[in-house]
Amino acid sequence: MSHVVGIDLGTTNSLVAAVRDGAPAVLTGESGDALLPSIVTVGADGTIYVGREAQRRLLTEPSRTVYSVKRFMGRGIEDVSDEARWFPFAIGGEPGGVIRLRLGDRDVTPSEVSSFILKELKQRAESALARDGEFDPEVDRAVVTVPAYFNDAQRTATRDAGRLAGLDVLRIINEPTAACLAYGLDKRHQGVIAVYDLGGGTFDISILKVEDGVFQVLSTNGDTHLGGDDVDRLLVELALKDLGLDTSSDAGVLQAVRKAAIQAKWDLSEFDRAEIVVDGVPGRAEAYRRGITRSEFEALIAPIVSRTLQPCHRALEDAGLKPEQVDEVVLVGGSTRIPMVRREVERLFGKTPHSELNPDEVVALGAAVQADILVSGRREMLLLDVTPLSLGIETMGGIVSKIILRNSTIPASGSEMFTTFVDNQTAVDIHILQGEREMAADNRSLGRFKLRGIPPMPAGLPRVQVRFQIDANGILSVHARELRTNIEQTIEVKPSYGLTDEEVERMLIESFEHAQQDIDARMLIDVRNEAETIATATEKTLRRPDFDGIAAAHLPPAEVAAIRTALADLAAVMAGDDREAIRTRSDALNDRTRHLAEVMMNWTVQAALAGRTADDVEAKGR
Amino acid sequence: MQPDTSAVQIEPCRHCGTDAPVDVHFCPRCDRILTLGRHGDYFMFFGLHRRLQVDLRDLEQRFRMLSRQFHPDYYYNASSTERLASLERASYLNDAFRTLRDPVERLEYLLKLEGFAPKEARQSFEKAPADLLEKVFELNEELEAIPEMRAGGARPEDIEARLARAREPIESSLAEHQRQVERLMAQHDTEFEAGDREGRHRTLEALQRLLIERTYLTNLIAIVRRESGGEAAAQA
Repeated sequence: MSHVVGIDLGTTNSLVAAVRDGAPAVLTGESGDALLPSIVTVGADGTIYVGREAQRRLLTEPSRTVYSVKRFMGRGIEDVSDEARWFPFAIGGEPGGVIRLRLGDRDVTPSEVSSFILKELKQRAESALARDGEFDPEVDRAVVTVPAYFNDAQRTATRDAGRLAGLDVLRIINEPTAACLAYGLDKRHQGVIAVYDLGGGTFDISILKVEDGVFQVLSTNGDTHLGGDDVDRLLVELALKDLGLDTSSDAGVLQAVRKAAIQAKWDLSEFDRAEIVVDGVPGRAEAYRRGITRSEFEALIAPIVSRTLQPCHRALEDAGLKPEQVDEVVLVGGSTRIPMVRREVERLFGKTPHSELNPDEVVALGAAVQADILVSGRREMLLLDVTPLSLGIETMGGIVSKIILRNSTIPASGSEMFTTFVDNQTAVDIHILQGEREMAADNRSLGRFKLRGIPPMPAGLPRVQVRFQIDANGILSVHARELRTNIEQTIEVKPSYGLTDEEVERMLIESFEHAQQDIDARMLIDVRNEAETIATATEKTLRRPDFDGIAAAHLPPAEVAAIRTALADLAAVMAGDDREAIRTRSDALNDRTRHLAEVMMNWTVQAALAGRTADDVEAKGR
Repeated sequence: MQPDTSAVQIEPCRHCGTDAPVDVHFCPRCDRILTLGRHGDYFMFFGLHRRLQVDLRDLEQRFRMLSRQFHPDYYYNASSTERLASLERASYLNDAFRTLRDPVERLEYLLKLEGFAPKEARQSFEKAPADLLEKVFELNEELEAIPEMRAGGARPEDIEARLARAREPIESSLAEHQRQVERLMAQHDTEFEAGDREGRHRTLEALQRLLIERTYLTNLIAIVRRESGGEAAAQA
């Protein structure tokens, strides 16, 4: 049977995990790395690169590379106008519609970019399971995590990304709650837990009550625009000011500065002092170096850290609790490695926070646990989450009438009666919103729909009951029924910041078209790997200390020269994208070295027969 | 109109067709989760009587137990009918728990069940209770003084103290109010146990009046809070 995994689709890094032999474990790539950088590059030939390779290309091909795509999920161009200038890739799209990101020569939606990351994770999981000896390593279902504070549009965009990647998204769960599940495994926690999750791009705080294995979220709060990226940005600004550059400068330089700033940030979590070092700044002979002490750093980031405290207080208030009533605090997200963050959290709750599990991995591990619960039917643990934002509809005068209040346990439902204002009116416009503000214009528009098919009646007589259902993923569906005629209405919600089913359908077809390209890319990599194996083996032979002696005895000088030429010919095309050239030249090298291989084999066999090592033989030969 | 609670409503199981009372969650014959359809009420759903005093620990335990039975997480491999039933039943459970765990929401809900006018309808035609009006006037006078104080350059802590003074009589009324509500809730439950329908109706009427007053009191406190909040913002 196919496998199910848990995926942490992060702003900066993504991870995949699965329950193996009863315990959740991160599934790593070939080289053992757990984190997949959430970066996507489209090569000049249309090939898609994800992860480390894309990270390398971020420096050389910044305009063909997209990162932090999570920030754009389910959002409109008008939401990101402030920060768009920080990104080296073009951000476009119609106002009031889905954002389009310029990726090389293609305009793609954030869901598509995320689907590339998900596909890579799916592949990574499948090869990890195959390495692990799984007979059928196919992965086709996943639990994907999102920040607790994600709205309906952001969740839907995440689910669409899964569909585009060929993954059945069984559940979307909130990152802080996932973290709690991961911790809940070893210890039977009882009591109130606060999860403080400061990631790359988002901040979440959730207050949970755990009893009898039921993890009930009492309240959640946060800021979808607060995280480690903001810390990086402050350091980048500092360096740019020194260098007399600004964000309109060369994208390659900006990326180099950003990379150096991130390194300095990491260093400052360990040391009292660090340096931002940038090589190769145009117009500078020497590398740029800027020292920064931890106290300077803390003064710089204090506003960011204090911005996390307000949501904490609001979440506690919504849960009806005081900070001292929290029994345990769990830290999640790479940014919680910053000592100042830990200190402030400890001060707020008056207790030392948990950090036994790797803050980068804990969310993916929790997602794997949830995935296992879903498919195994195990019932010892249950996660009861809440909807982070109130759901309402626009009424007369642009005021919001709330139907499902924030922090309601999901699934949740609510209904509202509608009627007509003029005689024989057969349709009513309904505008759905999410948010806490009084006025419709200040909230997030989820979609508008026209309620059709109302039987013609005098104004005010029809009674249409519209039912809003938020499922366990926090995703909304709408149903309507005219109560006098008992006719169920069909409702088509046009998502404000989401993709319609047709759009997802079209993208799926496109991805099949691109699949050829992706297959090509994989074949290129395969050919390259094979060529590398032959080249490396040949080089190794040529470097043997006894090679000259063996060659003198068994190989004509012209043959050795021909081998060296074939090797150089292959090296010349190896880095390129011409699959055929690599294949031809690697085949040529293979042919040229066939005799060499025989000679070396005979030599080894003879040496073994004589009961001596090759070294002895060489010594005698002299 | 008084809903008839004595007759047991029956709904057939969509899977095996067996008739099942609406207040059971699983089919007595095939043990599958039943679609919600028509339902009894939140109290019935939890297996509780229509009492106003609820043991919150007991309610929470029932909530957790039922969550473990209905939650969509446990129906991933089930038929679509069962998945829908699980979603509906879990939603209804969550809505019911949210209502019953809060004493005021619970009271509002019971009043609605017993045929009293709904909250929204009540507010539009009821006037503020006479004895509260005096307090409202006093409070308004206090609040009107605030902009003058601010304009006169009064210290923020003085303004805050004045606001606290203005709030004090309202808060003490609310506390007194709370005690009355609790007393009447206990009385209602005693009458419910004794089967005293008339006494129970009178008590609910009294509770409804108290609820209207309560709405006024909480609104007044919210007004003062907003004024305080403005003060905090002005200081910042």
